[in-house]
Amino acid sequence: MDTQPVAASHKQRPSWKLAAPNDALVQGLVVSGFGDLETGRALLLEFRWPEDPAAANLGAWLKTLAGVAPITNAQPPDKTAPGAQSSRAAALAFSWTGLQRLGLPATALASFSRPFVEGMFQEDRLRRLGDRRSGEWLETVVPGGPGWSANTPPRTAISSLRSAFDVPDGGHQEEHVVTDITVHALLLLYTHGEADAAAWTNAVADALRPHQVAVVHTLELVLDVESNGISREHFGFADGLSQPAPYDENGAVLLDGNLVGKNNKNAVQGVPLGEFLIGYLNGHHENSPGPVTPGDLEAQPDKRDPRPSAAGLPPHRTAEGFFDLGLNGSYLVARELKQNVAAFWNAMDRNAAAICEHDPANSGHVTAEWIAQRVVGRDREGHLLCPGGVLKADALDLPDSNYLFYDRDAQATGCPAGSHVRRANPRDSLAPNPLQKADLLQAANNHRILRRARKFGTRIADYRVDDGANRGLLFMCLNTDIARQFEFVQQTWLLNSDFATLRSEVDPLVGPKGPMTIHETPLRRTVHVDTFVQAAGGDYFFLPSLPALSYLAML
Amino acid sequence: MKQTTFCTPLEVKPDSCSRLIAVVERMRAAEDGRHAGAPENFARLKRDVPTLHFMSMSVFPASEFDPTLIFEANIDGAPGVFWGQLEAAFGERLREVLRCCKRPLDEDGPLYDAVTAAQSRAPVAAYFETRTHQPSVFHHGNRGMTRDRILREDELFAAVRLQIDRPGRIGPSPYRGIGAVDVHGKLRRELLPDFGWLNDPAETRISAAEHIADGVRMFAFVAAVLLVLATPGLALAAIFTSSWFLLLYMALAIAVIALTAYLKRKPLAGAEVDTHFNPIPGLLKNSGMIAGFLVAYLGAAILLLTPIVLASRWVLARLGVAPGLSLDAAWRSVAVASLWGLVGIAVSAGLLLLWLRYLERRDSSHDAPSIDEPLLREMVRREDWIAQNHMGSIVIVKPGVLRTIIIRVGHLGLGLLLRFTAMNGYLGSMRTVHFAHWAFLNNGSRLLFLSNFDHSWDSYLDDFIEKASVGLTLAWGCGIGFPPTRFAILDGASHGRQFKDWALASRAVSRFWYSAYRELTVDQIERNNRIADGLRKPELGETEAATWIRNL
Repeated sequence: MDTQPVAASHKQRPSWKLAAPNDALVQGLVVSGFGDLETGRALLLEFRWPEDPAAANLGAWLKTLAGVAPITNAQPPDKTAPGAQSSRAAALAFSWTGLQRLGLPATALASFSRPFVEGMFQEDRLRRLGDRRSGEWLETVVPGGPGWSANTPPRTAISSLRSAFDVPDGGHQEEHVVTDITVHALLLLYTHGEADAAAWTNAVADALRPHQVAVVHTLELVLDVESNGISREHFGFADGLSQPAPYDENGAVLLDGNLVGKNNKNAVQGVPLGEFLIGYLNGHHENSPGPVTPGDLEAQPDKRDPRPSAAGLPPHRTAEGFFDLGLNGSYLVARELKQNVAAFWNAMDRNAAAICEHDPANSGHVTAEWIAQRVVGRDREGHLLCPGGVLKADALDLPDSNYLFYDRDAQATGCPAGSHVRRANPRDSLAPNPLQKADLLQAANNHRILRRARKFGTRIADYRVDDGANRGLLFMCLNTDIARQFEFVQQTWLLNSDFATLRSEVDPLVGPKGPMTIHETPLRRTVHVDTFVQAAGGDYFFLPSLPALSYLAML
Repeated sequence: MKQTTFCTPLEVKPDSCSRLIAVVERMRAAEDGRHAGAPENFARLKRDVPTLHFMSMSVFPASEFDPTLIFEANIDGAPGVFWGQLEAAFGERLREVLRCCKRPLDEDGPLYDAVTAAQSRAPVAAYFETRTHQPSVFHHGNRGMTRDRILREDELFAAVRLQIDRPGRIGPSPYRGIGAVDVHGKLRRELLPDFGWLNDPAETRISAAEHIADGVRMFAFVAAVLLVLATPGLALAAIFTSSWFLLLYMALAIAVIALTAYLKRKPLAGAEVDTHFNPIPGLLKNSGMIAGFLVAYLGAAILLLTPIVLASRWVLARLGVAPGLSLDAAWRSVAVASLWGLVGIAVSAGLLLLWLRYLERRDSSHDAPSIDEPLLREMVRREDWIAQNHMGSIVIVKPGVLRTIIIRVGHLGLGLLLRFTAMNGYLGSMRTVHFAHWAFLNNGSRLLFLSNFDHSWDSYLDDFIEKASVGLTLAWGCGIGFPPTRFAILDGASHGRQFKDWALASRAVSRFWYSAYRELTVDQIERNNRIADGLRKPELGETEAATWIRNL
């Protein structure tokens, strides 16, 4: 891939920004997926210093990193400035074990949200995410189990202190699910061109090595935006189209230079900023909660710790004597998803053939392409399926994502009820009657995620021939309430076997093999999909604000 | 057939609480074959207690009370048959359970002794039945559907799918290339040999008599409430000789109340939740029903008060104090007074609201209730294995006369309203609740909530927060520590995270939980029912068939 800038060559929708001065405190990944920078690397880092180090300043590597890969803030890049600030961008997030290894105080470690503290690989969480059940990995996970996670330790065993009349009740010992690779931090690098990405990656790895920070897993990320302004995931469909549009009642969000609040928010995609950024008003009408760090030194309780204020952390609003570690940060969910492209298209071929065999007279329109579109819910160019065709492009000639389902397609004859886009964000489609459209849209918008996914691996040469290559999607999303947002989408929408009055079927694209219903007149059709996407690793990360990052560097 | 919901709260001997938990856990392990790879879990319970839909046993710890065992059952028909079946299937297990519970101090003590005595053969279910509590409010998702009918119609659904999508079919399918009417006809012909009951008429789910009785109860309740609220107005109408004075007085009172309410309308700092709740469309939509309520009130007032007025005037006339009154004049004057009473409702209801607001502004909310980590882990470990989940919760009720009246009258009214209006499983826009109920415990000082619902606990609570916060705040806002409420229905449960934490802290581990149809959601049971109802008909018309076939 060459290094020509792609920014000028394709159309872009105006994107939201954070108002000053907070834009300088927030990581750039929050406001942008760095779509201008088509090449990237995900570096999964492990801290390899000894468990109980004599030497302090474990955060020193962050200062070194700031020299070789400064973390990009959310200020709009100044394209006129010399030094081309926008030609490289970086983001950094930590797993709970990473923060623990950095030496974050125990009280701070305990103040993070429950899903983050427990990790994605906690036994019950894996069941709800559809990865593991009764001690067995499910088929939506690569054979042998995922290769990497934060390896969060099992929660402290419940007290074994016995009281006078205790009787054993056959209690349960929590399973500790372990992966080969332990990830303490996730460093994302975005740049122009493969050559610079490789050189930069090497430079970072070389700089971090002396600090005993090792790159344990690398994913080569790509974003090949086409001339029509879309980019495709490996199955061939336009991706990354629909995103929530944040607003803030207290003036933190800008769009085209105007403040976006409750009254001028996007009617379909408008979601309060606090759903994605800690410390701002969220969908539950409160400032989204986040972690704190103590203002006292643990060893000398009467002495103030100078570091939080030196790093620029503000005092916490309610916890006296604590500093706000979470403000302007977010939680980053990452899952490495392998895609089996040939299996996908072969399954589509097989289903098309079966339908044509069983219904020769009325299946002229049924092709592999037709079925694949219904699995996704859009055509390959990203236009939503509607009764009698697709949704026409918007004013910028890009696929329109500001649609609602209820009035357009209540019976799901256009975009199937169980299709990926409808499950991933049902909008107002779950309303039982027209009076409740607005309520149901509002309810669905309480579970949105800000997607920052990128694909890895090369494009397949022939969609129908498996070349054995490793390709897929590094799914990443930002949210402030992992349980209510990412986990809810995964459990209650995507993998819900009874979603929208369907029965025993889950998301046909990302779920395990099984049936999928496509409504047609007079009689619905059923296709049988295989498992096309398998998780190869993942965990929950904390994406700190820039002051929080400075604080971590002082640890 | 009608379904019945009830619970049996039993106080636990503190020394035997751990034993009780072990007994219940063993009981579950013996029935639940999930981990043993058995073909079906709870097969014995399903076979031996065929009236049962959902059953649970949970032990609630509390810092203010000794632990309480809550036995919950949701059944077909009257409880008598169920208790007999349960006794036969689980008598000895339940006796073990009962031995861990306290002997009641009231007149049931001797029965407890008889049932728990060593080598006792006395029926233990009789004791459970004696101690049963009736719910204050309950909701049934698939009303009128017996367990057997739910299972039967689901078998039919599976057979329909097999017919249409026969695996391994070679060549054209007979269900393709024909219209909806013919698909229906062919399916019916194919399925009739195995599902002979398709020829029988379907049992009415909710009979007209039941529905009318529910309606009469609801209207009688509303008329009674209005009558009580109207009493001050009625009394004033009797006292004031000039209706001008009365008018002036009423107008003044309403103005003062409205002004005070306006001044106090603002939420306390930090307690406001901006939702787009707007009662106007709802009121307009139900204006017919509201008019009905007012007519019911007027009718009740006239019927009730005219004889009283006539009788008292007759007595007065006999005493020579006042002239007698004709029936015509009597009911006219009562009607006028009742209308004044109606105006007076604004005054009395307004005063009650102000009183309530006064209390609300001084309520403490529990912002960070402590959540017992071991218990939470036990709950989470049991959740999300199947399409359904179970929750039980006990909260302490706020004290005071007004709160007691509001919660009692509120629950009574809500229960009657649900019975009359929620007939298709929907609670607002939610159709995820199979069986849920509230019940008062410990002389009304604690409120129990039990629910058997679809999908995860988080999604269930989110549904409440996002789609039914007003009703939920009204019903549960009486609990101590509930997030700050405004005029009984605003804010409250809209404090999503705070409300969830509060609800979570009040929960207990559902140690034993049985569902007779573990794979079925409320929504799917209704879908199966629509399919079955269609197939019972020998023929469908074009339009009817086109709608019906969408369910397949």
